[in-house]
Amino acid sequence: MKFLAPIKSQQFISYQISTQHILCTSHSLPVQIGWEKRESMASAVGAIAALSTFSTAVRIPKPLLFPEHRPPHSFPSNCSSTYCNSPFLSIHPLPPPSPPLGRKWKPLAVALEDAPPVEDTPEPEPVEVQIEAAVATANSKGEDVFAVVMIGSRQYIVIPGRFIYTQRLKGANVNDKVILNKVLLVGTKNKAYIGQPVVTSAAVHAVVEEQGLNKKVIVFKYKRKKNYRRNIGHRQPNTRIRITGITGYEDYPADMLPEPEAVAA
Amino acid sequence: MTRVKRGYTARRRRKKIRLFASTFIGAHSRLTRATTQQRMRALVSSHLDRSRKKIYFRRLWITRINAVTREERVFYSYSKLIHNLYKRQLLLNRKILAQIALSNKNCFDMILNKIINKKIK
Repeated sequence: MKFLAPIKSQQFISYQISTQHILCTSHSLPVQIGWEKRESMASAVGAIAALSTFSTAVRIPKPLLFPEHRPPHSFPSNCSSTYCNSPFLSIHPLPPPSPPLGRKWKPLAVALEDAPPVEDTPEPEPVEVQIEAAVATANSKGEDVFAVVMIGSRQYIVIPGRFIYTQRLKGANVNDKVILNKVLLVGTKNKAYIGQPVVTSAAVHAVVEEQGLNKKVIVFKYKRKKNYRRNIGHRQPNTRIRITGITGYEDYPADMLPEPEAVAA
Repeated sequence: MTRVKRGYTARRRRKKIRLFASTFIGAHSRLTRATTQQRMRALVSSHLDRSRKKIYFRRLWITRINAVTREERVFYSYSKLIHNLYKRQLLLNRKILAQIALSNKNCFDMILNKIINKKIK
């Protein structure tokens, strides 16, 4: 029985609602029984019917495996601790971000190279999307929810109201709404929804705030006694995403956390 | 060719280098030859350490996860945890696991139970 370990090395960008797209990444992996069940569930959920076949996973090669958040030199473990610094249960809701100026839904075909252009505006999509958006705003800030989301093969702990820096999402313009499907874990005050490997039909809604560049890094190559010196500066493009809400996890089987009295006892 | 004096060109170049090495100890921040050399060494180190940083942090996460899994469970360890993690088809990586173990111990216990308990069945 093979394990799912190789999925880490794949990098892709998923903007879309349908869960079929996440499953695309498992294309090259041995399909296990659990996956097939989930796939049938996903297609039943009502994702876009015409969407990608199993073979249209887009891999955009990027060298880094670990995220660099701003402030750039505070590393992931430090940085994610700023997100969940005080215990999860005492998160102060941040003031709601100003509503995006234009609700531009990126066409589904942005991330897929060989998807036919017809899919750009299928009719059922706007309705579905608006419903989800409505749910998202209802569920967002003020709740003690966190999720672990995989973007570009990096995992982030995500809380509504905060922002994260990710690898540059191609084709995403500022004030675009993005739905992240690859939710590996959702945690609330008393429950944890642990995805195997993904929490089905869970989605993290986010808004693209800014497409910028990381701080400059000087790549200095030097060989001694051989008169070889190369001074190269590099700025890695990144995208800042503000998380607006986490939805769709309620139906997933949850693990209840022990009651505080029981824990103390 | 007309006569060209060297003027301030060298000084301007060295000023930048000196600024870079301004916090170095002793002669390494004061004497130009030493500062240029030390700046080169510093940049090379930073380049190499960027790759090493990823290694160090992964080691740290593994150590933390190991410590937490061994806390209350006899005969359980990091290696078994990771083995079962893949068996149960969880995709959480070490960074997230370590962070959850730090901040949200209950959640981490739930993940552990999920991984271990099914094995018994």
